[in-house]
Amino acid sequence: MIAVLGLVVGVVAGLLVRPEVPAVVEPYLPIAVVAALDAVFGGLRAMLDGIFDDKVFVVSFLSNVVVAALIVFLGDKLGVGAQLSTGVVVVLGIRIFSNAAAIRRHVFRA
Amino acid sequence: MSEHEHDESARPAVSRPRTAPEEPSPAGLRRELPAEVPAPAPAPSEEDVAQEPAGPELTGRQRLAKGLWPPRITRAQLIVALLLFGLGFGLAVQVASNSDGDSALRGARQEDLVRILDELDDRTERLEDEKQGLEKQRDELENSSDQAEEARKQTIEKERQLGVLAGTVAAQGPGITMTIEDPKGTVESDMLLDAVQELRAAGAEAIQVNGVRVVASTYLTDSDGGIAVDGNKITAPYRFKVIGKPQDLEPALNIPGGVVQTLEKEQATVTVERSSKIVVDALRAVKRPDYARSSSR
Repeated sequence: MIAVLGLVVGVVAGLLVRPEVPAVVEPYLPIAVVAALDAVFGGLRAMLDGIFDDKVFVVSFLSNVVVAALIVFLGDKLGVGAQLSTGVVVVLGIRIFSNAAAIRRHVFRA
Repeated sequence: MSEHEHDESARPAVSRPRTAPEEPSPAGLRRELPAEVPAPAPAPSEEDVAQEPAGPELTGRQRLAKGLWPPRITRAQLIVALLLFGLGFGLAVQVASNSDGDSALRGARQEDLVRILDELDDRTERLEDEKQGLEKQRDELENSSDQAEEARKQTIEKERQLGVLAGTVAAQGPGITMTIEDPKGTVESDMLLDAVQELRAAGAEAIQVNGVRVVASTYLTDSDGGIAVDGNKITAPYRFKVIGKPQDLEPALNIPGGVVQTLEKEQATVTVERSSKIVVDALRAVKRPDYARSSSR
């Protein structure tokens, strides 16, 4: 419950404050958000499976974000930034879908 | 170790796979087998901060409900809330920064951008051409209206000048006044006509005598006791008001054997005065010629 509240408060704060995204962070923010989403879905699924662990969640959340940003950064340096971020988004999207499917089976039994 | 990594990548929150080696539930889920009984809950055996020590029959739905209500403030909940706060914040910021301004171009691919840029260049060029054409047209129109204005001004000026000559407008300027006293009644129309001719030859531009404008078609006749100018009878003294160059007009009248001497021979007295401002305000009605038509145009 507190976690859900945290998400809601974060969205509201982001909409209200509406800060300027620094130019350095700008290309990595969308990928980082998608990676974090993936971690959150994974965490939700783990919770439904009854194997949730906060330490693992924290580590996976942070490492997901960092690795995703790193990949994009590397891609930019190599000149394949657009393609690489597309690849990252595809992979993360697939994982989000599979996690969402597991969650769905838990919640709707279907 | 590899199994651990695989687990974490597949579902980032697995509680210690080492200590819960059997894990049948994810595998069961993957296989989509009929309604798998809830995971045998490896949780109860270890310290488990995120969830209630659940009984083996606890389904995922029940766990979700338990996690949501009643709210418990635990370290795990707070940490997860913090992370989710960060996620929500980033999400909202990204969405906000994406949805304002040139969001249509932000997601576009490079080839699309190049194409759009080309199109914009073409369009700019076309509009530039159009602008040049329109400016040229505008300049032409301005010039022509200037020319029309200039022509109108010249026409008005010419009309004034011709009006002075035709006697249809009043005129003023330097000139002379000539007064002819005729005590004996000896002055005749041909003498006045001589005077008018002499004045014209000396460059008189507007002449009136006793309130009658003298123009090109003016005729002078004798009438009893006076002289008729264009049919208007006038009597002595005859006062000529003449606009022209005084230095030319006066000597022209005073030359030996000229107008003044001729008139004085007839015992008339003639006085000629220069003046810097003569007003010729007698007018003639505009008369449209019956037969003559302008051949210009």
